[in-house]
Amino acid sequence: MQLGFLVDLHLCMGCKGCEIACKVENEVPLSTWRLRVKYVDVGVFPETKRTFTPLRCNHCENAPCERICPVSALHYIENGIVNIDKTRCIGCAGCVMACPYGAIYIDPETQTADKCTYCAHRIASSMMPACVVACPVGANIFGDLEDPKSNISEYIMQNQGNVQVRKPEKGTDPHHFYVGGGNVNLNPLASKREEGYNLFNKITTLPVGGHH
Amino acid sequence: MVHETLAATHAVVTLDVAVPGIVWPWLVTVNMWAKSIGTGIIFMLFLLLKRHPDQVGKLRFPSTVVAIVFIHIFLLFTLADLHQPFRMWHIFFYPHLTSAITVGAWMATAFVGLLFLLAFLSFVKKDNAAFDKALPWVVALAIPVTLYTAGLMSQCTARELWQMPTESAQMVFAALLSGSAFMILLGTKLNWEAKRSLSNVLALSAFMAFILYMSEYVFGPMKAEEVAAVLEYVKGDGPYAVMFWLGQWTAYLLPMILIALARASKSDAILKLAAILALVGLAVVKHVWLIIPQLLPMS
Repeated sequence: MQLGFLVDLHLCMGCKGCEIACKVENEVPLSTWRLRVKYVDVGVFPETKRTFTPLRCNHCENAPCERICPVSALHYIENGIVNIDKTRCIGCAGCVMACPYGAIYIDPETQTADKCTYCAHRIASSMMPACVVACPVGANIFGDLEDPKSNISEYIMQNQGNVQVRKPEKGTDPHHFYVGGGNVNLNPLASKREEGYNLFNKITTLPVGGHH
Repeated sequence: MVHETLAATHAVVTLDVAVPGIVWPWLVTVNMWAKSIGTGIIFMLFLLLKRHPDQVGKLRFPSTVVAIVFIHIFLLFTLADLHQPFRMWHIFFYPHLTSAITVGAWMATAFVGLLFLLAFLSFVKKDNAAFDKALPWVVALAIPVTLYTAGLMSQCTARELWQMPTESAQMVFAALLSGSAFMILLGTKLNWEAKRSLSNVLALSAFMAFILYMSEYVFGPMKAEEVAAVLEYVKGDGPYAVMFWLGQWTAYLLPMILIALARASKSDAILKLAAILALVGLAVVKHVWLIIPQLLPMS
């Protein structure tokens, strides 16, 4: 079994229900996110469009974070999930530096690395990840990539030619796919980040480690 | 810094929290800088022993002490940068050997052990012959200790700027530059021939490191869009442009010029000035190269 995620960006409406569900389920502290939805505005008024892209750990088959972790706090589990043992983490932040997707952060409460685990604890109890349950439009599709009859495999088959991963050139083989994604959604270098354009301009971040 | 933006799309991020920001701060700069001196001084002691054995004399113990002090600064700042420093022992009891951090920590620990052996041989036993026999083994271990940080940087898949062949060369040049500079300051009683050898190493390592940085500066952006985006921070009005050039001049260009002047006039003072500038400049250069890839949003 190799679990994977697919987000159909045609369906996502940016409600952030997945983000909130993740926060609640995993008790993610203030100023940190295991899953977040990025908004990118495209075009010039009145011809404008807002795109929504949920971003989370890609659970790469060739995960740089797992490779760089000096104490195996980040490790694969049998179902393909890249899991984290926070009691073992020494907080070197090597994984944060290695992850090309910016999916790992230092938890300001525990001072250890943390990230999306595809809700491994829920999956162990045969439940779906919290974000999948919360999505009102079924944009998050989760399942076994090795089972051709699974929802995710069938979705990938039906959308062949329109399935993307983020940063394929990194050779990480992500287990996280997008349907209907474009360059502006998936490539951070394809959109501007201009001062004053952010919907929330004064985001409070908690200190991690005290020296940053 | 935005390389793929088409005017037609006019794509602007309106909601995203660009985690993680600066994760490896100045503490890691000090870590790399101190390690360069700690291993470099051992390389230079070995060089003097081979090229100018009559000059090594009383430098064995002071050089070993310098190496011990700077390797401990390196270890201290490594520890200080951990968010859970009291779990450092996990590296030894739950080691993950694909990680350059683990391999580096083990090698650095062995290196410290060998340095204390050298100190014991030179200070307690006062046995120069045994010291000289042990030194090549310490040098052999100092090479991977110098290089492992390059391995670590290359394992950072997210940071395209840090490429393995270049970074390993830069680590070696940094060790040679800082080791020769420190030895010039330490070996005040060396004869001019020995000082000339050290100044050769200093000037050549400065020259080679400068060539590498300039090669990346000019040609790096032609290969990878992320490198191009990162190097914008040190080009034009980039926020690190001044610091980048300050580092290049202080660490490499000025020492090269000063060494040429010192050799023409056989001036100890100018040579020492070159050494001090190289040591200070190296910290600046390392800091800029450490920080700029962290400024790029990953999402």
